[in-house]
Amino acid sequence: MTNTLHRQGRAGNLKEDYVVFMTTAKGINREKSAAEIRQFMRICLKHNPINMGNIKQGNIYQDDVEIENLIAELGDGAGSTAVFTDPDAVQKVIEELIEADLGISINISGLLEEVRECCGKAGITRHSAEHSLGFWGARERLPEREILEINTLCGHGMVSFNFIRKMIEYVKLRRLTPKKAARIMAKCCECGAFNPARAEKLLEKAQKGEFSANTPHQGGKK
Amino acid sequence: MGAISLDEDGKSVVNQDQCVECSVCYRFLRNEGYWAWMVRAIRRVLSVFRLGYLADVDVCPTGALTPPELEWPRSLRAMFSDPTTIHPGTGIYGRGTEEIKSNDVTGRLRKGDAGLVVEMGRPGIGAFFWDIEKVAMALARLNPEFEAKNPVTQLMEDTGTGKIKGEVLNEKVLSAIIEIKIKQDRIPDFLRALEEVQREIDTVISVGVGSRCLPDGAIPHEEWVRKTGYTLSPNGKTNLGLGRPLFKEAEA
Repeated sequence: MTNTLHRQGRAGNLKEDYVVFMTTAKGINREKSAAEIRQFMRICLKHNPINMGNIKQGNIYQDDVEIENLIAELGDGAGSTAVFTDPDAVQKVIEELIEADLGISINISGLLEEVRECCGKAGITRHSAEHSLGFWGARERLPEREILEINTLCGHGMVSFNFIRKMIEYVKLRRLTPKKAARIMAKCCECGAFNPARAEKLLEKAQKGEFSANTPHQGGKK
Repeated sequence: MGAISLDEDGKSVVNQDQCVECSVCYRFLRNEGYWAWMVRAIRRVLSVFRLGYLADVDVCPTGALTPPELEWPRSLRAMFSDPTTIHPGTGIYGRGTEEIKSNDVTGRLRKGDAGLVVEMGRPGIGAFFWDIEKVAMALARLNPEFEAKNPVTQLMEDTGTGKIKGEVLNEKVLSAIIEIKIKQDRIPDFLRALEEVQREIDTVISVGVGSRCLPDGAIPHEEWVRKTGYTLSPNGKTNLGLGRPLFKEAEA
């Protein structure tokens, strides 16, 4: 799944957006992986992630999710995710994951050079990497850049354009604060990849009327 | 998707053609458990006085939404759109596969390989399988290796042509990923083919390319993408290589 690959943004806000997640492979290391996945989540939890979740149980912004229970109930192969806003925290997470030697695949979505630097400081060389080449096809159907930035914070696309527009309206009308609106949007994202801190900043921009008109997307042909 | 609207009686209706069965409307709303007749009565009384009750956006006062029992081929919509549904063909949640995420243990992409992920309908627009087929067939003409564990590949009648089973062509999903493996020097050919076919479809495509890094951590596909005139995103996905047992290419 390419779920966190196409996060939109500029260097400034992408610098505050790192998704750390684990993957297991069926027939290789998925079986009996529950303990390692729980340890992965505990290591992430120590470094103040802005969001955490698991596709089966939801994320920490949902009404009935409590992080300790979520971790305790993680089973074999349960894909789990944590989001960080601080590259230094990511650096520490990588170092602890290397130390823990869990044997499950760990991936980070974020600025590729920053992540490479983190790997270097931790004494490892990245194994594989993937880029987005942007949006193709009927791009005239896409909304403004900021709406895309919020929408792509959820890798599975669960925060719809219409819902984002509604939240923007609510923020502008002061029915919701940007923080509250961002947290409500985070509830839609089952796996916990949504970064509510970034969404909050974008909503603050919207409240001040600072949204751009349609702007060129990242990637694609020069 | 904009699939939900109100009918003339003020009741919600779902456009079944546009609904992708992601079920987010059901999962997202907290059920307050009030009787529907009571809520309607209160609203009618309030409306007489030109008043309305402004509920929180994430509650449903009556728990009115229930996900339907889906039959084939409509059930395909949920498999691709609802990340809490396990896809029977891949054994994992949602529409995707492991691609580079477990490449350190699977060796899916090896030295000289590139993985091209062509996600139809993303972001936010959705795609009908008739559009997905157009793109798959355009790519198939260049003889790629379609990823066998990918749920779109599993819907193909013939991976040689990229043709998708006729019974699913009218189904719409939030997004679906065509996933292929090619040699890096063929990246330009495939991007050019995508460039052509993108004009024939009524949805968007998110395109991604991945590869195994060189011993110094450099990304070999970058050169091929740039040569073809495309811009690479500054952000992306990195597999740290911490999975075990580590796939060793020489032993394969």
